[in-house]
This record gives sequence, structure tokens and C-alpha cells, in this order.
Amino acid sequence: MAKEKTIRVKVNGSERRATVEVRRNLADFLREDLELTGTHLGCEHGVCGACTVLVDGEAVRSCLMLAVQAEGHEVTTVEGLTTPDGEPGPLQQAFWDNHGMQCGFCTPGMICATAALLRENPHPTAEQIRERLSGNLCRCTGYQDIIASVLAAAAEDK
Amino acid sequence: MSAFAAIGKSARRVEGREKVTGTATYVADVHPRGAACARLVLSPYAHARIKSVELSAALQVPGVIAAFSGKDIGGAEILAIDEVYFAGEAVAVVVGETEAAAEDGADAVQVDYEPLPVVSDPIAAMKPDSPLTRAAQGESHDDAGAHGAAVGGAGTGRPKPRNVNQMVEFQRGDLAKGFAEADVVLEDTYRVARVHQGYMETQGSVAERAPGGGFTVWTTTQAAFGARDETAKFLGIPAHEVNVIPTQVGGGFGGKFVLVEPLAAALARRVRRPVRVILDRTQDFLVSHPAPGAVIRMKMGAKKDGTLTALEAELVFDAGCAPGAPTGIAALLLGGTYRCPNLDIVGYEVLTHKVSPGAYRAPGAPQAYYALESHMSRLADQLGLDPIEFRLKNAAKEGDIRPDGRPWPRIGLIECLEAARAHPMWRDRKKLGADEGVGVAVGGWGGGTEPATGGCRVNPDGSLTVQVGSVDITGVNTTFALIAAEVFGLPVEQVQIATNDTDHAPYAGASGGSKTTYTVGAAVLAAAQEARSQVIEMAADRLEAAPSDLDIADGRVFVKGAPNRGVTIGELARLANRFGSRYKPLHGQGRAAVHTASPGFAVQLCQTKVDRGSGMPRITGYVAVQDVGRALNPAEVIGQIRGGAVQGIGRALFEAMEHDEGGQLANATLADYTMPTAADIPDIEVVLIEVPSELGPFGAKGVGEPPAVPGAAAVVNAVEAAVGVRVKNVPIKPEVILDALEEGGKR
Amino acid sequence: MKAPAFDYEAPATLEEALGLLQARADDAKVLAGGQSLMPMLNMRLARPALIVDINRLPGLDYIRIAGGQLQVGALARHTAVASHPEVKKGWPVLAEAAAQIGHDAIRNRGTLAGSLAHSDPTAEHPAVLAALDGEVVVRSAKGERTLKADDFFLGYLTTALQPDELLTEVRFPALAPRTGSTFVEFAPRVGDFAVVGVAAAVTLGGDGSWQDVRLALTGVGGTPFRARQAESALKGKKPTAADIQAAAAQVAEAIEPDSDIKASARYRRHLARTLSERALTTAAERAAGQGGR
Repeated sequence: MAKEKTIRVKVNGSERRATVEVRRNLADFLREDLELTGTHLGCEHGVCGACTVLVDGEAVRSCLMLAVQAEGHEVTTVEGLTTPDGEPGPLQQAFWDNHGMQCGFCTPGMICATAALLRENPHPTAEQIRERLSGNLCRCTGYQDIIASVLAAAAEDK
Repeated sequence: MSAFAAIGKSARRVEGREKVTGTATYVADVHPRGAACARLVLSPYAHARIKSVELSAALQVPGVIAAFSGKDIGGAEILAIDEVYFAGEAVAVVVGETEAAAEDGADAVQVDYEPLPVVSDPIAAMKPDSPLTRAAQGESHDDAGAHGAAVGGAGTGRPKPRNVNQMVEFQRGDLAKGFAEADVVLEDTYRVARVHQGYMETQGSVAERAPGGGFTVWTTTQAAFGARDETAKFLGIPAHEVNVIPTQVGGGFGGKFVLVEPLAAALARRVRRPVRVILDRTQDFLVSHPAPGAVIRMKMGAKKDGTLTALEAELVFDAGCAPGAPTGIAALLLGGTYRCPNLDIVGYEVLTHKVSPGAYRAPGAPQAYYALESHMSRLADQLGLDPIEFRLKNAAKEGDIRPDGRPWPRIGLIECLEAARAHPMWRDRKKLGADEGVGVAVGGWGGGTEPATGGCRVNPDGSLTVQVGSVDITGVNTTFALIAAEVFGLPVEQVQIATNDTDHAPYAGASGGSKTTYTVGAAVLAAAQEARSQVIEMAADRLEAAPSDLDIADGRVFVKGAPNRGVTIGELARLANRFGSRYKPLHGQGRAAVHTASPGFAVQLCQTKVDRGSGMPRITGYVAVQDVGRALNPAEVIGQIRGGAVQGIGRALFEAMEHDEGGQLANATLADYTMPTAADIPDIEVVLIEVPSELGPFGAKGVGEPPAVPGAAAVVNAVEAAVGVRVKNVPIKPEVILDALEEGGKR
Repeated sequence: MKAPAFDYEAPATLEEALGLLQARADDAKVLAGGQSLMPMLNMRLARPALIVDINRLPGLDYIRIAGGQLQVGALARHTAVASHPEVKKGWPVLAEAAAQIGHDAIRNRGTLAGSLAHSDPTAEHPAVLAALDGEVVVRSAKGERTLKADDFFLGYLTTALQPDELLTEVRFPALAPRTGSTFVEFAPRVGDFAVVGVAAAVTLGGDGSWQDVRLALTGVGGTPFRARQAESALKGKKPTAADIQAAAAQVAEAIEPDSDIKASARYRRHLARTLSERALTTAAERAAGQGGR
């Protein structure tokens, strides 16, 4: 098909190359072409936040960006926040240890949004966390253990 | 019972690693080699005759593999054939190489409809001149029943209005006499919107032909065996020819039983390729089974001292286009929570042109308690009584007779109310500033039961593998690990939980109705106990000691009083698994058929501040008190309660599936169907009450459902306390509060 | 919910972009931040034959001050606008409005220019443009023109932007000394599109009286509403609560909002009144409090 394009994107530190339909969004590119299924699709209209990834270090809805737009940029997904040998990274460990997840579907987006927050503001207040994570819906936890996880991760990172 | 090794200590999720690292497998992550993607074509009409379905244009679309009408697939359960009964009912399906290609094809399907009269509102549907729905044609859709919500009452010969499928009635005493004795009588009508479970992962299934015949189905379900049976039935093959592999469930809340599993398998059969059927958010809103809206008329009478004398109620549940609304359980809870000698409750299950509801966290209870608890607070107000004291005076306790004639078992309603009364939020509620107030509400759930089995294998490394056929939607696997760890005195990390597919799993029912820990947990307990007996028996033989002289600690069996004489559990398992061994492998099996439920009650306090500029109440504090029997894993129990409470707050403030008169759903996106975010919710303080169940493992009761029940009434009661405005319909429309304020609220 | 097929071009120069728009004026759509367009594509509410992605155009993400005027390039994101020190200092209402748009991930991609070009009737920035007497610069292969809010916003999701035109820059004149400003909005759920929002900028004279009052609302019709009657009623007077209330009531009278599933017309009127009152009060306090902005 003519409506395809070959793109090169740095994903979780590795240069990845794929030929994609130009209409394919970044989330589908990550999930289908790169088999990085940790990025979840909860609405595909930019509301739920489950597909949040980092593009050049900033939180972005991967359902609201075309894959071809990521050409030449650096994308980090939840899989990229582990330790080099694939063990949970500090932020992920904090979510696990502090019951910051139940069904786990919103978790990758929450963790990516949190990573962006902590990069900008390493010691946020609970209120700041609630404001920043208000773009990520969770239906299970009532949010409190997520807030606690972020606070724990921030306290850990002195 | 007091000195537990594992029970009662918070354990993090056994499946946490995969969830935080993004490696957990949800159904949309399943991509069998060569899989094709399917896309449904949905009816834009709420009621219409299908004149023709033209697929040829779709088949010309690049990337489209096949397209089918309902007639082609055969089976009106999954695709309509002649007539559609709700807007969003599937009429055709297109299979493509990608989801995008399938959607391109679905756009090209042309369906010719003859629109037919529609009735969308249940009250309108009961009028004699209403259009007729698919009234009482059988086919019950009963996910709520699977929650233990199927309750009936005896009929008394009241006429059955138009489009009413089922009526339930509960009567007791002499209603007229009861109202005559009352010093205060209050009557009003309350409305509760239809709401969606709002799970973050949409529904979907992936199916492929199994190499040995039959089908493999990956699906996001709370009921693996139920999905297997329904799929096999639709395909016309024996149940054992379908293997259901349950994936991680990205939220269920009652909404995920069986939906597209049969379709996925039927398509895999037709196109001879694996097929993925993953609903997008809008299609999920349109085709899945939400919680019914209800209109509830209440009339209650009470004496000056607060004694209830009479309760009359009429419940109308909007069942959509197929029976299965939880009218019976709603009527039972509404009439049974407080002692009242004179009762007359009637419930109508009304059919309309909407999708039929399914189960959502305590089906029927949030609706019933919204009406009951709004009314109770108003009655207390009129009687000049404290709302909690008034409730305590009438609260049901063990032995009180419910409307269905059966006595309540030991319940913790009074203990919960007493804890709420003692809480500083309640005690200090009069000290709040302007436009702030605290409301209270009760909620309850009967609890469900279903037989279950479980297995417990002892491994050569000394660890345990617990095998279950239930799906983990609430952290139950972690609880199972705690149960097995408790029996063996092992650390919880030494227990692995295997949620098996239906080919391999011991049978278990659906994970729903707050019964998984209660029933499967009981089976796991029995399995672990049996495995422990086997270990003791084998060790007795090895150590030449009487079994009664042996004990287990730190992964080792030893002779009491002579701890040096012992053998590790791992050694025993290695020995038992060895070639030519004379010992049988160590593998316990447990079965349970707990058939008496342990009802659970919750009381919630909501503190709100109403913004006079917008009328919007903001939640400024929240306390959730709940009798959980015994909290086996406190952190997860608390997490469940918080999550449930926030769903209740969502019902109060935001959530409604908005249908117009033509039956069109106006808000089938997450932008328009608004669920609470982190910024809308304060910290929620949980107070655990433990009135142990005699039947649940270690005294546990169902935890998941009660916390989702009281929220709506707690919030509206808080609004009244804050600004003197009584809201009768939820979700609250802030403009209703504003209007009332302009007309002069009490303060 | 996958986007329909389209052609895609990511031109490297403005000329190239304008050329594409000219050649494919009938069926092309410009992609900037994409936070409105992408959902519309995913839901197939938009079906352009060509997407012209302007994100690779160099040098369009500027936020600069020239001749006292604030100039914001087509690719400046909400996050950049909200956090830019000069914007916060000189045009605080703009920064305040930008910070209230959606959520962090949305603000990181969405652009000021795109928000104006999309012209959602409940978006924040159209009201700010109207209140601050800003203007937009639009370019096509044929040339360039500048438009004020009144001429730019034509109706529900409709602007004067022609299919072959690109909105390249947004300009805001400097605020006078002793100007206070604010943006206030109401949404039932935090972070959602506002039901009603109000941008206010007021300038107090040396004697403390209203020298200039500018008030614009979003969410009360298809286009932002500049409350000129209420503005002129206040001018020359000294700020009093009663006058502010009367002006706010006048705003509520003057607008002609619609009812939809989010709110009734009556409720929008009510919010217009209470939010206008809040905005004017805050803006006046700020003007008085710091003797300027």
C-alpha cells in the first residue's frame, strides 16, 4: 500500500525501524509492530491515560500521536522503566510494594505519567500528585494507594 | 485463632511484578500467529426491522477477509437477524487483516432498516399506550443472578403493567395500620441513573482452532467456565472441546461474564484463522451490559421515638430489552435492612429498547439503598432524631426476619453504625464551616455462594503451587497464597498461584458476588489442609513418629519436643516425586460448597462543601466503615473498599448513561461518560470491623460489593447537611442544587 | 476506533506546507498538536484525504516579545505557554488559561494556535484571544492576513481560516500598567472541558477607577463572547461589589447559550454570571494589589 512509511524511532534506548501505515498511531505501533504491549489502550480518544508514554521525556498520550510523528524521537514505555535486566525499576517497585495497582490496566500509564512528574518535581505533595495524575483514570483503587506509591518513590529518591 | 502467621498481614500482589513492568497479558495483548481482526457493525436504531444487510462493498475493501450478517453466523444471541431491540445491537461483523481494515470494511456495510416504535423510558413503557418491547420472550440474561442476586417474592395478584416482565412482591403485617400508628409519614420518589462498570480494559476475546479439534479462547472474563459453556453451546460442540484461557482482567466489577467469546470462536471457525474481537470504548459502551437505572417510590412511617411502623415501596428497574434486572434482591435489601412490622414492596422489571443490564458491583443494591438511605435521613430529620441513632434503633440484627421470611444470620450492621457514630468526622460535624456538611448512609450485600474446587501441590523446593479455576479480579490470588501459607506456616512468597485454563483447572464458578475468597478460598483452605495432612503422614512414616506428634514450621516437619528430628517439606516432595518411590505425590485437593451466604454491611460518611457559584458539591472527606468478617489481606481489603467507595461517589456526582427518547446513547465515550479522577477524590479513611463469618475461611466475608453501595446516599445526605437542599435524582446535577439555593435553602 | 486511511505529508518548509494546502485545499487537514484532531480521526468524525503534519516545520515553536507584543508561533505547546516566564509576567491570563487545559500529557502536545484554529466552543484560548484583543496571523501561498477574534471566530468549530491557510502566529498586545487579569472556569470534573470559562483583564486608572475592562467568555455559544456592554457599564466607575454583580448579571442577560448534555442554557447563564463576578473581582484585586499586572 502506498500509504505506508518506514520510520526509525528510538524506543527504550534501542533504535527501532518499521514500515507502518501512516494512519497507525504511536500506541498501535508500540503494541503491534514492536510487541511492547505494556502500553494499554483504554479509550483511544485521549481521556483515560492508559496509553501514556514518554516522548523525549515528556508524558504524551500515545493514542493521540501518529507513529510517523515519532520518527527521530525518543520514546520510553513502561517496559523501559525496568532495571537493565528486566526487574522492576524503583518507581515500579514502589507501585508494587505500596499496593498502587489492582487490575493493573491503568498502571503502565500511571507509572509513565509519574516518571514525567518526578523528573520535573522530585518531591511533589499529595495534592500536586492528584492534580498531575488526574489525566489518568483508575477504576479500582480509589487512587489513594497510587498517591502513596508516588510519595514512597519520591521519598526513596533522595 | 488469634496468632496467625500469614493471615491478617498485608501482602503485596502475587502478580504485581508483571503488572508494574508492563508484561502482564491482557486479552488485547494476545496475538496468535496469523490472527485476523473483527469489527462489529452496530444498529443506529433502537428498534427496527432489518430488511437487508449488504456486504459486497465491504468485501471489496482492501484488507477485508470476510463479512457476515447475523443470518450468516446464525444465532441471534450475538448478531441480530430480523429485528434490533437497542441502538448498538450488532447486525454484522467484518473480519480484516488489521483492526483498521476491518473498520474500513464495517463502514462499507450497508444495512437497510425499517424503524419501529421505540420506548426508552421505563415509566413510559408501563403506560397502556406504550410501544411493545420484546416483552417476556424468555431468554434471561442473568449475570446478576450469578452474583447471588436472584431473589423472588410471592405474587399477590397485582395487575402486571405493560412491558413488565417480572414482578416481585414482599408483604408483611398491616400496612394501613402501620401508617396509622406513625407520627411522621414521608413519601417521595428517587431516581438512579443507568451506569456503566467503567472497567479500564474494554471487553474482547481471541479465538483459534485448537490443533486437536475444538477451540482455544483467550478472554477477559470473570467466569472462565461460564465462557467455555456458552461458547460451546453456541458452536454446538461439547463443552470440553472449548478451552478458555482467562487473561488478566483489566477491571470487571460484574461486567465481564460472557460477551464476544462465542462470536470470536464462530469467526475463527468460519475464516479458518485465529480471530481477535477487541471492542473499542464506544462499542463497549453500546453493546456491553451495564447497571440498570431505577425509579423508586418510598413511603415510610415512624413514631416519635424513631420506631419504624410501615414501609411501602415501588421499585421500577429498567431491564432494557431482556429480562435479568436485579429487582428481587433490591426489594429484599430495601425491606430487610431495618426492622419494620408492616411492609408492602413491589418491584417491576420493565423492558425498554436499551441494551439489557448485567451485573455491576452489588447489582440492585446501590439503587435500593440510595432510596432507602435518602429516606431514612429525611425521616430522622423530620423526627428531630440523630440520623445514626435513628438507624441504630431500627437496624436489623441476627435473627430478625427479612421480607422473604428468612432470618438474618450474624451481621455487623450495628457494629458499623456504632463505629461511624464514634468517628470524629461524625462527632465534629456541627463544627464545620459554611456550606459544609456530613452525610451518612448504609449499604449492604447478601453475599453469594457457589461450589468450588482447588488444588495444592507440594513442590520439591518446598514451595506450594495452588491451582484454581477462578479468575483473579480483586487480589484473591494473593489471598489464596496467604491461606495456603497460613496452613503450612510458610512465608507467602513460597506459594505460587496458578490460575489455570478450563482444560486444566479445578472447577470454580464466576468471580463475582463477593464470593471468591468466601468459596474458592474455602476450597483452597481444604486443599492446603489435605496437602498438609499428606505431608504429616509421610513425615510420620519417615521419622517413625505418630502424626499427632509432628508439627510444621519454617518449611520443615519435626517431632514436637525433639526439633532435631525432622525433615524438610522439600525433601519429602523430592522423595515422593522420585522414580520408583513408594510414596504418593503430595497433592491436596479441596472442595467446598458453602451454600449459606454471609451478608456484609458498610456505613459511609461523606463530608462535602458545596460551591455556591456552580452548585457543585466537592467531596472534602470520606470515611468507609465495613464489616469484612476478617481481613485476610488488610491492605488489599482496604484498597477494595476505597475503590468501591469511589465508584459510589461516581454514581453520586458524575455517572449516567444518557439515552434520549429515541433510545440513543448520547455519551458513549470516556470524555462524556465521566468517572472520578484523582483530583475529584479526597483521601478515604477505611475503618475495618471484624464480625467473623462462621463459614468463610478464617472468618472472612465478601468484601468487594458492600463499599460500592452507600456512596450515592452518603453524598446527597451530606449535601442536605451542607446547604439544606435535598437531591432526589443521581447523579447530582449541580444546577438542581443552584436552583434550590436560589429558592432559598434552609440555610 | 482506528483512523481512516489518509495520505500524509510532513513538509520541511513553510512554503512547502502552504503549497500542499493550496493544492489539496478541499480535503487536507493540518496536524499540529493533534489533541483534538487525533480523537476525531480515531473516531472517524474527521476523514481528510491528506494530513499535513506541520510539526517538522523549523522555528515555529517560538514564544517571543517584539515591540512589546507577545508573539506565539504555531508550534508552541500549552506547557511552554503556561510556564514561559515572560508570558507569566506580561500576559498572566494566558498562562493561567493554558495551565487549565486538559491534563499534563495533553498540554505537552496541544498548541495555542491549534486550539484557536479548532475553535472548540468551550476551549479556553479563544476567550483569551477575544479578551486581550489579540490577533492571529494566517498565511497561504497567496499571502498573509491578520484577524481579530471577532473576525476570526465564525461559529461552532468554524473560523475564517480558509482551507489553504495556515495559522502561523498568535499575537497579543502588551497589557497596560495597573492591569490585573485572570481566567476562571468551571467543569464538574477537574480537568474536563469547561462548561463555562471567563477571561478578564481590567486596568485601573490612577484614581482607582475602572479605566479599561475586558471580559470574554467561552462555553456560552458557538464563538467566544466579548461582554462589551458589561465592560462599558463599568468603565469610569470605582470598583464595587455591587457594580461587579450588576455587570455579571448583564453578561448573563446578553449571552445566548444552548442546552446540551453537559448543561442547560439556564445553567450556563448562571455560571456566566457567577464566574464573571469572580473573574472581575479577582482581576480588579490584582490590578489594585500590585499597582499593575
